[in-house]
Amino acid sequence: MATDAAYDHRDRCAIVGIGSTDFSRQSGRSDLTLAAQAALAAISDAGLTPADIDGIVRCDMDTVYHHDLAHTIGIDNLTYWSQVGPGGVAPCGMIGQAVGAIMSGQATAVLVFRELNGRSGRRYGLSSQNSERVGGAGSYDELFNPYGMLTPGQVFAVIAQRHMIEYGTKPEELAHIALTCRARANANPLAQMHDRPLSMEQYLDARMISSPLRLFDFCLETDGACAVVVTSAERAKDCPQPAALIRAVAQGTMPSPQPGMQYPVLMRQSITELPARQVADTLFRRAGLGPDDIDVAQIYDCFSITVLLQLEDWGFCKKGEGGPFVADGQIDLGGSLPINTGGGHLSEGYIHGMNHIVEGVRQIRGTSTSQVAGAEVCLVTCTPLPPGSALILRAS
Amino acid sequence: MSDRLVPVADDIDTGGHFAAARQHQIAIRRCNGCDAVLHVPVAYCRSCGSWDGRWESVEGRATLYSWTVVEHQVHPAYPVPYTVVVVDLDELPGTHLLGRLDGAPDLRAGQPMEAWFEDLTDDVVLPQWRPLSG
Repeated sequence: MATDAAYDHRDRCAIVGIGSTDFSRQSGRSDLTLAAQAALAAISDAGLTPADIDGIVRCDMDTVYHHDLAHTIGIDNLTYWSQVGPGGVAPCGMIGQAVGAIMSGQATAVLVFRELNGRSGRRYGLSSQNSERVGGAGSYDELFNPYGMLTPGQVFAVIAQRHMIEYGTKPEELAHIALTCRARANANPLAQMHDRPLSMEQYLDARMISSPLRLFDFCLETDGACAVVVTSAERAKDCPQPAALIRAVAQGTMPSPQPGMQYPVLMRQSITELPARQVADTLFRRAGLGPDDIDVAQIYDCFSITVLLQLEDWGFCKKGEGGPFVADGQIDLGGSLPINTGGGHLSEGYIHGMNHIVEGVRQIRGTSTSQVAGAEVCLVTCTPLPPGSALILRAS
Repeated sequence: MSDRLVPVADDIDTGGHFAAARQHQIAIRRCNGCDAVLHVPVAYCRSCGSWDGRWESVEGRATLYSWTVVEHQVHPAYPVPYTVVVVDLDELPGTHLLGRLDGAPDLRAGQPMEAWFEDLTDDVVLPQWRPLSG
């Protein structure tokens, strides 16, 4: 049995800079420009210049590569780069790469970024299949796409339906997740839904996209970018902003996770569990903390049901009780676990997990637009499917 | 037909499923070493370490595991509404396959389902599932 003894990174690194672009439906800018703007903002926030950055970590689904960004903003001494995937599973794992690079001496200040023109460019919610013959070559798409199973939303709809079958979960319960995120977005001027309140009636009246998921169960297609700068906790003391110490990071998968990007998870014997439980076990062990120690959480919310499943699998409530847990206001400000305090993917913007890390840092700094009083420990999860990653931030 | 999406039916790992469908059979990959179900189909058995497997035909009977009614169209070849079903094979519980139904029929979890076979092209047949009639 492997131990974590050789991976003792607890509180050894910190996020010292955060940066975001505006979030919109049409940025009018290239992917590279979005990445550069978020990166420059994060580097400036850290009190550094591009010349101080010697490492870059990207997401595997980004179109911007390390050297693209380095060239563009003037990072001329890049000694480390890395990428993590798949997609939204990556961001906390990307921070883990930065921590590993710093602790092993491969880099001293690492830029971690994600950008996408997710509305005006490639839209993940539309089928990308435009050839007549689909699948093969290890994709396993041939077992799914021909039946009209074509998007992540449809996968999570089938999962949500099964959760309703097994546990009696109700649409009105899923609604609480959408409404909570929307209320946080209404307080956040950067959020795409800042000016758009949402009522239970509007949620239930909205059109069905893929039953049982309605319009507001889906995240926002967003143009935008987020970036953060990671350095050693020692060096963080010299940076202008309060350090958000990286208490611990973890990646994880589950037994028999199934291959492929997303559809084969429907072949798992149980589809109502995510790999979050495995990630949680590893992360809490590395952090020396548990669910009761979390003051505020940024929970990956590509869809409302994704949040519900994670609340259960992270141990914030019992399996099957996610519905009553959210309907009881536990994820609201003042609840036992305030979540997605910037509005999340559902109502701030979908920067594929990176905006959750930025908001997590804001909570540790005390600068969130929905600040949780006295928040000192923030969980950030990227545990949709097939595998997952997560981290815990802590005030210094 | 077909202006529908047609599966690659000769993939080295999954082609046997579609070869069986041409014979109007539902075939699942099994391990010859320990009889483990290898689904989705893979060449190696993680249970016993064998690389020796077979395609085994099963009865075209299943129960309904879950489903979604797609009402927002994402592909021109798939007009809405339609229903994607996930079924659980009677002979191999825990083994799931997909099917597509027109429209939004009334469904209930656990109801019996039967296989049928849809000719997509001259050489590709898609295994399908629908509520057991009668």
